Amino acid sequence: MIGLRGMEVAAGDFSVGPLDLDVAAGEYAVLLGPSGAGKTLVLEALAGVRRVRAGRLLVDEADVTELPAERRRVGLVFQDGLLFPHLSVADNVAYGLHRSNGERTRWRRRPAADRLGQLAGEVGITQLMERRPATLSGGERQRVALARALAARPRALLLDEPLSAVDVEAREELQDVLRRVSRQEGLTVLHVTHDRAEAFALADTCALLVDGTLRQTGRPADVLRRPADEAVARFLGARNVLRAARDESDPRRALLGTGAALRVADPLPAATIDLVVRPEDMEVWPAGAAPADAVNHLTATVVRLVLQGGHVLVGAESPTPLEALVTARRADDLALRVGVEVELTVAAACVHAIPAT
Amino acid sequence: MSGRRLSLFWAACVVAGALLVAFVVLPAASMVVGAGAGLLGEALRQDDIRRSLWLTVSAALIATAIAFVVGVPLAYLLARRDFVGKRAIEGIIDLPIVFPHTAAGIALLTVYGREGVMGRLLAPLGISFTETVAGIVLAMLFVSLPFLVDTARETFALVDERYEYVARTLGSSPGGAFLRVTFPQAWRGVLSGAVLMWGRGISEFGAVVILAYNPKVISVLTFERFEGFGLRAAQPPAVLIVIVAFVVFLVARAVLLPRRGRSRKDRA
Repeated sequence: MIGLRGMEVAAGDFSVGPLDLDVAAGEYAVLLGPSGAGKTLVLEALAGVRRVRAGRLLVDEADVTELPAERRRVGLVFQDGLLFPHLSVADNVAYGLHRSNGERTRWRRRPAADRLGQLAGEVGITQLMERRPATLSGGERQRVALARALAARPRALLLDEPLSAVDVEAREELQDVLRRVSRQEGLTVLHVTHDRAEAFALADTCALLVDGTLRQTGRPADVLRRPADEAVARFLGARNVLRAARDESDPRRALLGTGAALRVADPLPAATIDLVVRPEDMEVWPAGAAPADAVNHLTATVVRLVLQGGHVLVGAESPTPLEALVTARRADDLALRVGVEVELTVAAACVHAIPAT
Repeated sequence: MSGRRLSLFWAACVVAGALLVAFVVLPAASMVVGAGAGLLGEALRQDDIRRSLWLTVSAALIATAIAFVVGVPLAYLLARRDFVGKRAIEGIIDLPIVFPHTAAGIALLTVYGREGVMGRLLAPLGISFTETVAGIVLAMLFVSLPFLVDTARETFALVDERYEYVARTLGSSPGGAFLRVTFPQAWRGVLSGAVLMWGRGISEFGAVVILAYNPKVISVLTFERFEGFGLRAAQPPAVLIVIVAFVVFLVARAVLLPRRGRSRKDRA
């Protein structure tokens, strides 16, 4: 397990914390946040290469705050792999074996060679062992870096944006490797990224770090559906954040500034709230064609259409700016174009309310 | 239009560069060519020149070795850590570069001479810096130390510190990470600094002549012959040391070049 107890860490004028976070044994946690949020500082503090200003750090229930990095048994993989360029792939991986055996090991001898072969097989680098790091692709480098970290038999594995320097295809393969290997080795993992899709693809638990503060922790689906505040909501891609007032005669009804209203599933938590609606939860209909039983429907004019892979992001004004995500096929069927009037509907359960700050 | 400007610009660069290269090469080439093989043979047959050459080369080597032992850790410290007074220390290390070398000799004499603090302190141990090899080494060390420390510091700074972070998490102590990860990536730069320092050491005259006129290093011997017997007599030792220095530089560059070749290929 990994535990942060009121941890504070600083670099120059920027500081992170105090942070409290628990990652259970064998759990895959993702620390998600925008660039400059302080994610890497957290990892470096946990790894023991940066001193904490306050608080305690726990690994497998042991307090490691004062331990030097080499005695923490925490693996660290950086974005660019950072393979030692003067060593072959095999020698890079074997570097970690020295500690796991408690002494310098000649990796060509058993059992070190067996462990090396096993790791190479697990991460798919068997055919790369004699190569030099400079000749490897980004994805291959990350696999080797992962094997090297695993060779030292860490109690926890820290990954700093491990997929951001690899191409899309290699990224998906690496995600599979990370998922499989972390399960096989029963590893506790703390993975840092700014990429939402990467986080939700891998995480058992997600923690949101914004401006050095931990804003929310929970299962990915919960964090996605019920963001704790506006900053989290916007970072997670909930593009519709609407300021509204509670209807005092109906606590499940929010009044927008434009005179329109939206119904929510639970009583509104404050008199003034921000309503969060994800674009994919917003449905688009031809004007006047929305189902009569839809609890929330807004009339809007299309002002922008952006093709995103197989989907189209529809920008509309109601007159409040709103965005909906529809499949490209649905956009074709609706003959969407700028200037067209449409109706937007959203289920009450898909409108999340947070107290306005 | 812009292409023409560019070509004029590059032409100006080439002309300026050619002038500078000629300025450096001409005196050395003129001396070596003018001397010819006969003069070189004559130099090698003279005992005092051979002794002086050996003394110069070995004293510069000892000075470089001492600087390596104490200067490389300092260079690493300066490259990796921020601390109060760091800028001041960097300035102090560079001070010998701006010191007139005869003034450096005088300064060393006031500390390490017979009446100097260190001179008096070390005299009972039989260590003297005036008119001794130790004095020559001391003078060479003082004036050429910045070449090694500065080059090594810059080289260490170019090695990403996160390599050491990774090595530490893999079980290496800070010293182990330095020896097994950082130094293997930086050794060419450190060697380059050492060669520069050695080269600066063998050419030292001002500080050496103040501290230890005897035994004579080759620069002092050349000066003495020139003063006493003229240009013809001064040429053999001068030619010899230029050739030795040139050969050492060629060998050192051959060792350093493979990395440059690889990096060009990597970029391609």
